[in-house]
Amino acid sequence: MLISAVSAHAATEISYWLWDTNQLPAYKACAAEFQKQNPDITVKITQTAWSDYWTGISTGFVSGSAPDVFTDHLARYPEFALNEQLVDLAPLIKQDKVDTGIYVGDLFKLWSKDGKQYGLPKDWDTIAIFYNKDMMKAAGVDPATLANLDWNPKDGGSFQKLIAKLSIDAAGKDGTAAGFDSKKVNQYGLIMPGNPDAYGQSEWSHFAVSNGFKFNDGLWASKFYYDSPKLAETFQWIVDAGKKGFIIPAKDCNDSNAPGLFAAGKGATVLHGSWMINWYKENCKFEVGIAPLAKGPEGRKSMFNGLADSIWIGSKHKPEAWKWVKFLGSPEAQKIVASYAVVFPAVRENVDIAKAAFAKKGMDVTPFVEEGTDSKVTFLFPVTDHASDVVRIMRAAIDRIMLSGANPASTLKSANDEVNALFQ
Amino acid sequence: MNTAETSSNPWGHRIGMAVLIILAIVSLLPIWIAVKTAFTDTGAIYTSASSLLPKDATLFNFQRVLGLANPADPRLAKSGLGKIDFLRALLNSVIFTAMVVIPQILFSSMAAFAFARLKFPGRNFIFFLFITATMIPGAVLFIPNFILMKELGWLNTFQGMAAPYALMTPFSIFFLRQMFLGTPAELEEAAYIDGAGIMTIFFKIMLPLHTGSLATLTILTSIAMWNEFFWPFLIGRNPAVQVMAVAINSFRTQSAAGTPDWTGLMACTVLGIIPVALLLIFFGRKVVESIQFSGGK
Repeated sequence: MLISAVSAHAATEISYWLWDTNQLPAYKACAAEFQKQNPDITVKITQTAWSDYWTGISTGFVSGSAPDVFTDHLARYPEFALNEQLVDLAPLIKQDKVDTGIYVGDLFKLWSKDGKQYGLPKDWDTIAIFYNKDMMKAAGVDPATLANLDWNPKDGGSFQKLIAKLSIDAAGKDGTAAGFDSKKVNQYGLIMPGNPDAYGQSEWSHFAVSNGFKFNDGLWASKFYYDSPKLAETFQWIVDAGKKGFIIPAKDCNDSNAPGLFAAGKGATVLHGSWMINWYKENCKFEVGIAPLAKGPEGRKSMFNGLADSIWIGSKHKPEAWKWVKFLGSPEAQKIVASYAVVFPAVRENVDIAKAAFAKKGMDVTPFVEEGTDSKVTFLFPVTDHASDVVRIMRAAIDRIMLSGANPASTLKSANDEVNALFQ
Repeated sequence: MNTAETSSNPWGHRIGMAVLIILAIVSLLPIWIAVKTAFTDTGAIYTSASSLLPKDATLFNFQRVLGLANPADPRLAKSGLGKIDFLRALLNSVIFTAMVVIPQILFSSMAAFAFARLKFPGRNFIFFLFITATMIPGAVLFIPNFILMKELGWLNTFQGMAAPYALMTPFSIFFLRQMFLGTPAELEEAAYIDGAGIMTIFFKIMLPLHTGSLATLTILTSIAMWNEFFWPFLIGRNPAVQVMAVAINSFRTQSAAGTPDWTGLMACTVLGIIPVALLLIFFGRKVVESIQFSGGK
């Protein structure tokens, strides 16, 4: 029965691209399992550095050498979809009766537009507070209180009290003491990059959204609300807290050196995403703790982002590519990925596997998991067209606010007008 | 140095030395920081950023970027380490440099000889065109050249990277022409009368006469090609043909967490600097003298 004529033809090779070196072992394991189940398909995995990845993909689209399947990103796929470079997975999902209800929250919806599906979710991330346990102890802060911090744009709530207590000046006074010198601070309560982008994933989005701000009216909206007074209030609080000496000066900190500054002991807390868990664990000489974000006036909010794999429209092996994507989106593959403790899998039932894998490495990641699985906490990454122009406009505006002391309300208003004009 | 001058103005001498020492420190300190970071253990980098000596000095960074580390080494499993095959990149740089420098020197000297010694119609006009070519900003040529390479199917190949430079650069022709013009023509005329052909004159008389300037040009071109970034970046992205500068750029974003793998990056940078530094240490004086000599002529 097994005399397959199939054995006469060589295995089909499909190419798969990803950028994260840390996830390479996990995906190699997935490929091995996939190839065991599909002996006539081989998966060739290529890992390319982030800065070369997207240029490689775009050049590949143009020159006809793009990979069959590649890890896609929410900020990039709208332009690819617009340029008809991605295969619509919806008919394939329907044909193979793939269960799309197994994913956490609205991850599946993030990757669809107008009834077309451009990726099957594979992982997700949320934002939380990483803190230096030694500095907490030295300041006499009980870690148990960190789970219930609150924040508001007027006086910063208990969150501001916390970072004030954790800010120490050259004379040893903390931020709550009289005579605290905000110009000569040795240890800052909070390390926050001074150059956040239009989405502020780990810097300002959770503060703003918990204050009542919303980016737009939903996925693919054509109107932003950056001119909302709730956002201006949020930036005003950030700037003021910086002036008080509780946040590291914006000019000294950007998104690539913020983790290093935290590891060097320049600050007691840093807000960052779950993809950084292993980095902080390995590069900090002190013990690192994780706490959930502070609750704003409208509760605790965290941006919810997730990757998926897309198929290139020019792929010469679309059926095989679909099999691979289907596999990667399945509980079986995501169980493998979860066990490597690098990311949280999109399939709900596998999230605990990742949690246990992290715990085995000595990291209690409960705050990330609780935020990620609570639909009241998560808000979606604002997927829209013209993403690169939105980022460009808002970057300039936010830089003016954070670095040049421009007035948040008026700067945001004019930037928002510019952004909305893109959709005209 | 005039001893009389020194003894009558010791302070001028001392201030001069002080300024030179300060300039030397300012120039060399960044290089030292790079070297120091390359020898620092990855775990210690953030706590030792301000010290002048490496903390937990180790050769491991060099080993892992060159691909010489044992794959089972537990230190390799740390997140935040970038992945790179830098030995391959260095080899590619050597191949690329050789592929460019050898033909370029040969053809440029032939062209310079033609402009300096041979008379043919339109010679001055063509030379004028070459001078004009030096005025074109290189950036303007990138896109047309890229399209040409794509049509030729030479993307991600050594010949694609070497092509725009391999035949000549306007500077090389200009420099060598000046050298050739600077020597008297009697020697060649004598050889010509004795029946030597143009090729014999070129290979047996001109080239041996100008080994100094040819060596200078070779060194300058090699250094420039060793450090070349943008054109190989456009054409040679594939790790199999990546040259040193492109590999370092790619390595910068290679670590997953977004913060660069500083120790590995500095190890790569130091390895990239070493060949040029050696070249300049051994031949630097000769190069400077050679250029000075041409000016004096």
